[in-house]
Amino acid sequence: MILFLEQALNGWALGSLYALFGIGFGLVFSTLGILNAAHGTYASWAAIVGYYVVERAGLPFPVAVGVGVAAGGLLALAVDQIAFQPLRSRKAGMLGALITSIAFWIILDSLAGFATEQQSLAFPAASFPSGMIDIGPMKVGQLQLIIIAVLIVCTIGIHLLIQKTRLGTAMRAVGWNEVAAALGGVNARMVILLTAFLAGATSGLAGVLAGAATSNVSFTLGEGLMLKGFAAVVVGGYDDVRGTAIAGILLGIIEVFVAQYVSTALRDGFTYSLLLIFLVARPRGLFGSAGFVRA
Amino acid sequence: METLLDLWAAYGSTIAFAMVNALFALSTYAVLSTGVLSFTTVVFAAVGGFLAAQSVAHLGIGLWPAFALAGIGGAVAGSVVAAAFLKLDSHWMALASLALVLITRVTVLNTPLLTGGVNGLVVPMSVPMGDLVILLALVAAVFWRLHRSWYGLAARAVREDAAVASTMGIPPRGIQFTAFVISGAVGGIGGAALAFTLQFISPETYFIGMAFTMIASTVLGGSFHWFGPIVGAAVFTALPVTMQSVLPAIEDVAKGVVLLVIMIFLPRGLVDPRAVGLRRAARRRVSAEEGTDV
Repeated sequence: MILFLEQALNGWALGSLYALFGIGFGLVFSTLGILNAAHGTYASWAAIVGYYVVERAGLPFPVAVGVGVAAGGLLALAVDQIAFQPLRSRKAGMLGALITSIAFWIILDSLAGFATEQQSLAFPAASFPSGMIDIGPMKVGQLQLIIIAVLIVCTIGIHLLIQKTRLGTAMRAVGWNEVAAALGGVNARMVILLTAFLAGATSGLAGVLAGAATSNVSFTLGEGLMLKGFAAVVVGGYDDVRGTAIAGILLGIIEVFVAQYVSTALRDGFTYSLLLIFLVARPRGLFGSAGFVRA
Repeated sequence: METLLDLWAAYGSTIAFAMVNALFALSTYAVLSTGVLSFTTVVFAAVGGFLAAQSVAHLGIGLWPAFALAGIGGAVAGSVVAAAFLKLDSHWMALASLALVLITRVTVLNTPLLTGGVNGLVVPMSVPMGDLVILLALVAAVFWRLHRSWYGLAARAVREDAAVASTMGIPPRGIQFTAFVISGAVGGIGGAALAFTLQFISPETYFIGMAFTMIASTVLGGSFHWFGPIVGAAVFTALPVTMQSVLPAIEDVAKGVVLLVIMIFLPRGLVDPRAVGLRRAARRRVSAEEGTDV
């Protein structure tokens, strides 16, 4: 029973990372209409920058998280302005942006390989909260609890931001129709920049935390997060932050339980079977609403 | 002549891969030309590839029957995917098809009886370059014929505006379903061609990397004319080889930058019938004005 609960918490923490990453990915997809193949590299680069802040500059872990988050956000801004803005101004649609994002994925992945010298780096164990806390008879990692808390805070924060504030209203308006939003007095360019930054920062946060939690700082970090975060977005519905969060946690818990009680080999199989079931049975995700488009 | 033979020896495999990638790009173009962004060509390729590899190994059939079988298998897969996914709108379609690519790899990994599982499958047959050329020419001829047919016209109408197309009596779903069947057949044949070119296939062969390669080839070449994907596949396949000889240290970065620059300056791709038409019209206008001046 104790093992069961411990594993449930481990899965929750793992799933929180997927969800945190997925929120950023879904934000770009729903607001900017871009299927961003380069999104995983934001997480990789945030983790790499965070690692060098700890390892070379000797600064404490919270600073590394802050710098990593800022790096993820700024990288997302730069990619948006270089790769997506020229196409946006020509109304080239989703397709062109997908290809430029693939180009940036190739570039940033390969540069990340150089930055880590093609190795997998790890945060020194003493640099981040890696100890265990006793909750009753259970032993839970501090970092796991931090990750779980971070996801809850971010989900609530971003959900409120999108649903309750003027900025969020503007973001949804731009996601619906950029021109119409601009006619309604929304500064579309500003909203796009802020969305890109927010998405990059969220995924960067997932990257730094995942880098510490899995002791893997390299370009493969972002790829792993991307595949699972993407599954969370599809299961949860890309236009709702809550759905992504719940789906991500669910995927993490299932993954850990399957590995623990069934077989490690079938871990991904279960995740993607769930994905397939959702695609066929409930294609708009957990919280998905019926969309309406001009006939 | 001698240099030509040297070139052939050095770049023969690149040319073979360019032709295989052209088949994949054409398969992607088939659905893209009806306004659907889908990555499912990878799925069709996997179906075709494993089907061809197994039937050659166990049924002892020849090269061309294997291609035909792969095409049929791909077409069946295409119709299944279309029946399940066409009800989704465009954003969801893109996500769902990408998810299906991930699922395909897991399926391939967990059915070792059919696919060899993690260890992959050795393909006991190779495709001569001449046959590959004939295959690509045949497929291209089909696309050329389709482009000039009622179906091609209807597909372009559906892509531009499905609502307007349906008011003119074109069934958008029907056209897109047909497009998926065509995409499936061509993708399956491409998958078989890849299997016979590599002579070894594994779960990693038909995965995300391939999905992005073929969509990039298609859009790079131009997704408004069937010739675009063929050009795009050639450029995209040759790019890493060229970059390796120019900038060996950062070939991947250079490849990404070239892709980025082309897409920013030519967002409609290298082959763009509209640009050709506009240029022709401008030239006609200029000559007409000169005519009136005189």
